[in-house]
Amino acid sequence: MSEHRSDERANGIDDAQHDVVVVGAGIAGSLVAKRLTQAGFSVLVLEAGPATAAAFDDYSNHVQAFYAATSKGPESAWPPAAGVPQPDTADIRTGDGYFVQAGPLPYGSTYTRLQGGSTLHWLGVSLRMLPEDFQLQSSYGVGRDWPLDYWALEPFYGEAEHEIGVAADVVDQTHLGLEFAPGYDYPMHRIPPSYSDRLLAAAVDGMTVNLGEDQLALKVRNYPAARNSMPRGDYRPVGAVDQRRAGQGDGHGLARDLGQRCAGNTACTPICPIQAKYNAGKTLAQADGRTLQVVAQAVASKIQLDPVTGEVRGIEYQRYDDPASARHTVHVARGRVYVLAAHAIENAKLMLASGLGSASGMLGRNLMDHPSIYGWGLASHPVGPYRGPLSTSGIDDLRGGPFRARHAALRVDVGNDGWRAPTGAPDSTVTDAVANRGLFGTALREHLRSTLSRHVRFSLNVEQLPSRSNRVSIDPRYVDLLGNPRPVINYDIDEYTLAGMAAAKRVYQEVFRRAGIKDCTDPEQGVWFPSVAYQGDTLHYHGMGHFAGTHVMGNDPAQSVVDTDQRCWEHRNLFLVGSGSFPTMGTSNPTLTLAALALRTARHLAKELST
Amino acid sequence: MTAARLKELLAAAVKLELATIPPYLCALYSIRPGSNQQATLVLRSVVVEEMLHMVLAANVLNAIGGRPQVAGREHAPHYPHELPDGVILDLLPFSPAAIESFLQVENPQYLPTLTAPDSAALQVRRPELHTSHAVAVSERPTTIGAFYQEITETLKAVAADIGEPALFCGDPARQIGAEFYYAGGGSPTRVTDLESACRALDEVVDQGEGDILSPYDADGDLAHYFRFQQLKYNRSYLAADEIGTPTGPAMGVDFKTVYPMLANPRTAEYDDPDLKAASVRANHSWSQLLQQLDAAFDGRPDALLPAVHTMFRLRDAMLVLLANPLPDHHGRHAGPTFEWQPFTTAKAGTNHDLSP
Repeated sequence: MSEHRSDERANGIDDAQHDVVVVGAGIAGSLVAKRLTQAGFSVLVLEAGPATAAAFDDYSNHVQAFYAATSKGPESAWPPAAGVPQPDTADIRTGDGYFVQAGPLPYGSTYTRLQGGSTLHWLGVSLRMLPEDFQLQSSYGVGRDWPLDYWALEPFYGEAEHEIGVAADVVDQTHLGLEFAPGYDYPMHRIPPSYSDRLLAAAVDGMTVNLGEDQLALKVRNYPAARNSMPRGDYRPVGAVDQRRAGQGDGHGLARDLGQRCAGNTACTPICPIQAKYNAGKTLAQADGRTLQVVAQAVASKIQLDPVTGEVRGIEYQRYDDPASARHTVHVARGRVYVLAAHAIENAKLMLASGLGSASGMLGRNLMDHPSIYGWGLASHPVGPYRGPLSTSGIDDLRGGPFRARHAALRVDVGNDGWRAPTGAPDSTVTDAVANRGLFGTALREHLRSTLSRHVRFSLNVEQLPSRSNRVSIDPRYVDLLGNPRPVINYDIDEYTLAGMAAAKRVYQEVFRRAGIKDCTDPEQGVWFPSVAYQGDTLHYHGMGHFAGTHVMGNDPAQSVVDTDQRCWEHRNLFLVGSGSFPTMGTSNPTLTLAALALRTARHLAKELST
Repeated sequence: MTAARLKELLAAAVKLELATIPPYLCALYSIRPGSNQQATLVLRSVVVEEMLHMVLAANVLNAIGGRPQVAGREHAPHYPHELPDGVILDLLPFSPAAIESFLQVENPQYLPTLTAPDSAALQVRRPELHTSHAVAVSERPTTIGAFYQEITETLKAVAADIGEPALFCGDPARQIGAEFYYAGGGSPTRVTDLESACRALDEVVDQGEGDILSPYDADGDLAHYFRFQQLKYNRSYLAADEIGTPTGPAMGVDFKTVYPMLANPRTAEYDDPDLKAASVRANHSWSQLLQQLDAAFDGRPDALLPAVHTMFRLRDAMLVLLANPLPDHHGRHAGPTFEWQPFTTAKAGTNHDLSP
């Protein structure tokens, strides 16, 4: 895809009229581009960040950057361009980053502004939302109902699972009311559970916990993962993206054989070195190149309206050649319809910066995340951590049930990565042994062998409901190097979610006790995370990168920004796709659901553009 | 022209494809990490296609009721290893001599230019020559191309003689399919009849040697021979280039950023106890891999699952050897010896341990 970076490609496009202009080459934009180019429509994709993850050699450089980085955070492999800043985990503590954290609490999540988007460093958890998640208000009297029910989205879930390449067995997933189309199964068999998963399941399966008046039985389950596994039927796992063609002079697509199966590199976040884990570049590479045009390093900055019809007539964008510089030229992209697929925050920001979408008063509001807490402990025997995908199993039984009338649902992610995330182990374990315990030689080796091998980590991801006051807005005082607004984030965690977080803490402590795992959770000694006081306790929480709600979908233009097709109520040739459309998020990682919604919108658009 | 003769030829073909793999692995893993990026991709792409060819030959043999065998001292390859063309496969680091040898393997018509600097020195490191089974079963001097041509012709003749159902009498459950074989040059063809058998064998010949007049195969990929030419000339091919004169960008070939492995080493030559132990470990993994492949070809395709772990262990053991200089060998490094040395010598060939 490197040719898309050339000036010639960027310059002749001002006069061109495309069928569709897509803003953002992440998963949503790539799926729309793939579907619509394959339907014969011309699609222009504007990508704010560089396309350095699109070509195999460039991707390899990102792998090298990760190897060389001293801090292995989610962003370590993916530095942004100067004019296209992105939130960074390290900035949450200082409060001085791309986000203007307006409080009262810091918003704990980040995303990536490069071609490929945040799928470059996602974990790959691809859970469907539960049927009851779509009717939270009518079932439990909290949150909002979706204007669609589960069955309206079910076929698109199946489509998305095949586009992404999700490994799971339906037989593991049919619980909590989740049903699949008759005869359906995932395109690939489940990733085998890790050794520690199996030990934990043996200890935990069948134990019960109480959430309010509900008594819930727990079971360790494999979760659907966007990483390549053994295919079912004729499905062929998609490995590394390598579009070099014979005679191009720099190799010949020889890397396509890489990544056809997960090889357990234990680096899913921040970067899968062999691309066995899905990233949006795979989808974009499958688009029909004859009608696809991708312009990277092109920052959409303003949506232009036709003053008479109220329809969008163009999107202004700033094109830069040098990622290290803010020097740029301004262009306008024109199409019949426009699809914003830039991320929940960036979609809302672009609308706000263009003075659009304000009629319902909902734009930018209802910002959600999954505020999550870590629990870490020492198993009584070696469990084999620090190998395999970062996680392969979870406990899903607390994702649904009547208790949701009182407090948030939660999902337990069971790690294979020891104490890496909450404490910086294994490095911090070595430092502690040498500096604090004075160990060296044989004693040091024995200490490391006996402790590292027993590290267990849970992450408990807690549901958050939409709230008008949790929002992204813009303020002319805060702009980036290109003069575009930085997101101002107002964020708080309400009683409903706090009670869920407190329950989550209780749950992991009970599970640890049951499994004979010594609780070593000590947020004061671990990696810094923001905290919130609740009923005399201090809850430390981390973001999951699960942004949602900023351009909420609904049936009523007075209460929502987009309709069920993700079409903007106020501007009928403008679509806002992504998790920003979610009325609620339940406890699912949003990527699969936003992919299903994007495919549904693409199908609608293909029909509409044909008439 | 009998089915028995066909089984003999195909059994030799499986071993022939297997024998090409260790020399490519030596070249691949002797490259110092981070250097020779394009060469690494080229070598990797070729070695995984050789693995596919071995599986395809095994599928054809299983389809006619045969039993591919790769485990055991009499079936495992030994080096230096002489192929039907008279080409000798040596275990060498990434070097001009190795490239010359690969060019010969990938094109029977190729006449080696014996100008590679270490060619002469190599002669003394060929203590004994092991002859490929493909040579042993051939009735007259042959080439790899002619060897495969004989297989295809015999297949057609026997099928015409006794009928396809009688010839393709193998249990379909013995075929290796895409669920167990992956990331290796394409999906293996399941062989059930003459058409699929010819398709499988065509792929072996097409990918391996290609058409000497056309650098690109049906997928638009450069054939092996031309991939190696790019390394020889340190120049990539552009679409308009004449055969033999690539004019594209440099390939970044640097023979100096390579662990200078001793040619055709033997574990017995490693006096250092740590190196000797590492070599034994590598041979255990190699032998276990052959046992797992043997089981996979004998009705247990799922034996390829733990074989992946074994391949990782083999790679790690190879890297340890390659990174270490050998005392008293003028700066030469140790390297994998690929000797048959199973972990349980008492029950060699039956230790089909499937646990990872």
